[in-house]
Amino acid sequence: MGLITGASALEVAAQIVRESPAAETEVTLEHGLERFARFAAEGPTQSADRERHEFAVRVRLDEGGGLREARASVAGNSLADGRRALARAIELARFAPVNPELVPMGGAVDVRETFAPPQTLAHSFEEKARWIRAALAACETAELEPAGLIQSTALARAIVNSRDRAVFGQTGRHGFSLTASGGGGAGLAQSFGAEPDQVDHASVIRKAVDKALASRAPLALEPGEYPVVLEPLAVSAILLFAAYQGFGAREVEEQSSFLCGRDGARLWPAALSITDDPQNPLMPALAFDGEGTPKSTVKLVDSGRLCAPVTDRHYARRRGTSSTGHAQAQPAVCGPAPQNMVVASGNSSLEELIAGIERGLLVSQFHYTNAIDSKELLLTGMTRNGTFLIEGGRVVRAVKNLRFTQSLLEALAGLTDLGRTGEAAGALFDGEIVTPPMSLARFRFTSSTDF
Amino acid sequence: MNELARLAVDSAQRAGAAFADARVERVLVEDLLVRNGELALSNAREELGIGVTVRAHGAVGFAAQPLGGARDTSGAVAAARRALSIARQLAPAMSRAQDFAPEPAHRGSFHTPMEIDPFSVPLSERIELLLAAEQSLCGRPEVVAREAGLSLRREERWHVSSDGLDVHQTLTRTGAGIAATAIDGGQCERRSYPASFGGDFAGRGYEHVLEMNLMGHGERVRDEAIALCRAPACPAGERDLILMGNQLMLQIHESVGHPTELDRALGAERDLAGGSFATPAQLGKMQYGSSIVDLIADSTVAGGLDTRGWDDQGTQSGRWPIVEGGRFVGFHTSREWAARIGELRSRGAARAESWYHPAIVRITNLSLMPGTWKLDELIADTENGVLCDTVKTWSIDQQRVNFQFTTELGFEIKNGKKARLVRSPTYQGRTLEFWNSCDAICDADHWRLWGVPNCGKGNPMQVAEMSHGAAPARFRKVNFVA
Repeated sequence: MGLITGASALEVAAQIVRESPAAETEVTLEHGLERFARFAAEGPTQSADRERHEFAVRVRLDEGGGLREARASVAGNSLADGRRALARAIELARFAPVNPELVPMGGAVDVRETFAPPQTLAHSFEEKARWIRAALAACETAELEPAGLIQSTALARAIVNSRDRAVFGQTGRHGFSLTASGGGGAGLAQSFGAEPDQVDHASVIRKAVDKALASRAPLALEPGEYPVVLEPLAVSAILLFAAYQGFGAREVEEQSSFLCGRDGARLWPAALSITDDPQNPLMPALAFDGEGTPKSTVKLVDSGRLCAPVTDRHYARRRGTSSTGHAQAQPAVCGPAPQNMVVASGNSSLEELIAGIERGLLVSQFHYTNAIDSKELLLTGMTRNGTFLIEGGRVVRAVKNLRFTQSLLEALAGLTDLGRTGEAAGALFDGEIVTPPMSLARFRFTSSTDF
Repeated sequence: MNELARLAVDSAQRAGAAFADARVERVLVEDLLVRNGELALSNAREELGIGVTVRAHGAVGFAAQPLGGARDTSGAVAAARRALSIARQLAPAMSRAQDFAPEPAHRGSFHTPMEIDPFSVPLSERIELLLAAEQSLCGRPEVVAREAGLSLRREERWHVSSDGLDVHQTLTRTGAGIAATAIDGGQCERRSYPASFGGDFAGRGYEHVLEMNLMGHGERVRDEAIALCRAPACPAGERDLILMGNQLMLQIHESVGHPTELDRALGAERDLAGGSFATPAQLGKMQYGSSIVDLIADSTVAGGLDTRGWDDQGTQSGRWPIVEGGRFVGFHTSREWAARIGELRSRGAARAESWYHPAIVRITNLSLMPGTWKLDELIADTENGVLCDTVKTWSIDQQRVNFQFTTELGFEIKNGKKARLVRSPTYQGRTLEFWNSCDAICDADHWRLWGVPNCGKGNPMQVAEMSHGAAPARFRKVNFVA
């Protein structure tokens, strides 16, 4: 079973566009393949070899008075599925209110071709079982409990509209993650790549076990304000909120973004630059957005200075600019948002970041981060999978987990140094960025726990 | 469709599976959202697919694929073969065979009881209701976003297993709500009704939407959003806390529901969601809450989002205590995890988001049983407290001990009277201390189910729905943070 090809997907999508009686029509055809094995102490607990299709049709009807828009989808890839989706979308659109704000769909574009490597899905369950056995054996030797995931995914998407836009792309991703825990300690390591050869499973196992062993027998630490070194999984869990709640044009227009009233302000040290980069090799992505617009590489923070928000076609017109290629599939509940944020690296190793702190904390990961206030990006969350006290520029012991309540804006204002190596890192509520570790002068921890 | 599920099971068995289970599912979803006068979301989705679970050589494999229709026999057979192939390939990595707790072979059907089939209500009528609800939020320039949403879901499922299971279920879920976002004085606040994150959802028909009277609450919701922008932030300090039902339901969900999922407690979820402080060794021993705290799991309760005949492993729905008289007495279990701790049967809490997902342990409808108080009496009995209403944001640690929740709105209570409005009241605590500080629960007149339509769990993550019944309740000496 292989991914749908560009020629096939574009032809089926174009046929539905041709058949549509609507004033404007957009067809999105998506095909996903996924193979994963999840495991815990006694071996695999869940697994799946699964396939999905989505045939989505967006129409704009003009039956007097103006354009009305709706979308419908069917989980299939045949012409019959497309026709059912088209009929349903038309039925919905007939009852939609006229929308004078609709921007005409985009015309023909050139997009960079992207492919899912065939090796991604060729990674067999037999091979996955070997990786799992290696993880279980290492954890057993170290008297730790394993829990992890090996996942191979491939996605193809075509978008065709009635204004001659026709784009297609594929992505592939292979990932391995292991959480090892025991003796009061825990460690998470993970590695992702477009194909299995880019994922060093032995290194992941070694790092997770080493971190779990190092974080055993943690001691309690009083909550308070500490300088911190945040590893990539800690940075991503807080920085993604700037993407969800601030760097998009809708939030700016509706005044709920932290960018409001701070146009072009230098909010953070010059060492901090953040770009939304769909071509970063650590984060394989399609080259176009939910409207089929090519994704641009966009500066979000330039040497500490805030830049303009990302847009889709609707918000680009309102701002008098071109779309940056950050649309959700339309119509959408959410506005445009960065999907591929990359924090520019610095020059220091992790050890050098730690060495720069007299007394503070090394945080491996933040867990269950959430926003209390979107305009100040006031966030709360817990440390997880290894939190360590730094004294005299070196890690001296593991400490129990702490809850933080901290404005991201204020935290980044205290940026003192950046690591030299960026890594792809995600968070509990979805999303992923590429970031190096960073050190911050102040971070407010407000309560503690017993583990 | 039943024949396709049967074909998949037979194919897997003939090829050597020790056990096979197939779910053919047709899913219909319709989401409508009117935002600032426009139909910002009008999304109808339709799926038909099969998910096959196979056990062989002590390992379990799952495969899923979309079906082209009732005659797509090749799709059903292919899914069965792939599931069996996975189990065979993964078997060498099993250090202990995955056994299932036994379950009688059920046969029958279940349909969500309802008065008005929501999919039968004319589309024009549904959209008109949303436009009118959104209009009811108009009239003040401070309001920058007005939203009225309606969400419908129907799952029709044919479920067959090699154990003799043969059941057919049609589950319907209906949800709706309104929200206003206001900006004033540089402050941005959002107010929702009847609950946040899309409103309230139930395993009921369109009558659930009509009973909400969305238009009747628009003006209040709008004015409260503006008033919150002008209100002072809730001060920090230790005070008594009265939680209204639409916040207490999240407290139940996060600090009782998730910790009592047995797969979490046994460490299988540590790779993403985390573990639990509640372990099998503490069953019957740990004082989870005060003596007035009774928390009952019930996948048969009328109107629940997880009310059904059987779970996704074919276990019959039921009602059982999780916390009884404050004592921890039960877990949410599936057949494989129940077998791990020697329980004779699963509680029937294994669910999959759809045909595309393997079943995992999920919270079912879990409710705090009503007490004896009236809300007026409870407020009058509180000297120095804060009444908190409607979920705004939440966070809880990986062991489900340390939590911090913020609500949309709070009222200070001074000497038994509701005093000034405060914004973003944020309370923080530890699960056992918190539930043991519960000293008053309002009575059945104040009790109702609240729906959670977006519970994420698993890795890769999948979404489940469940309800939590609650009446307002008081918790003593809670820490508020600024």
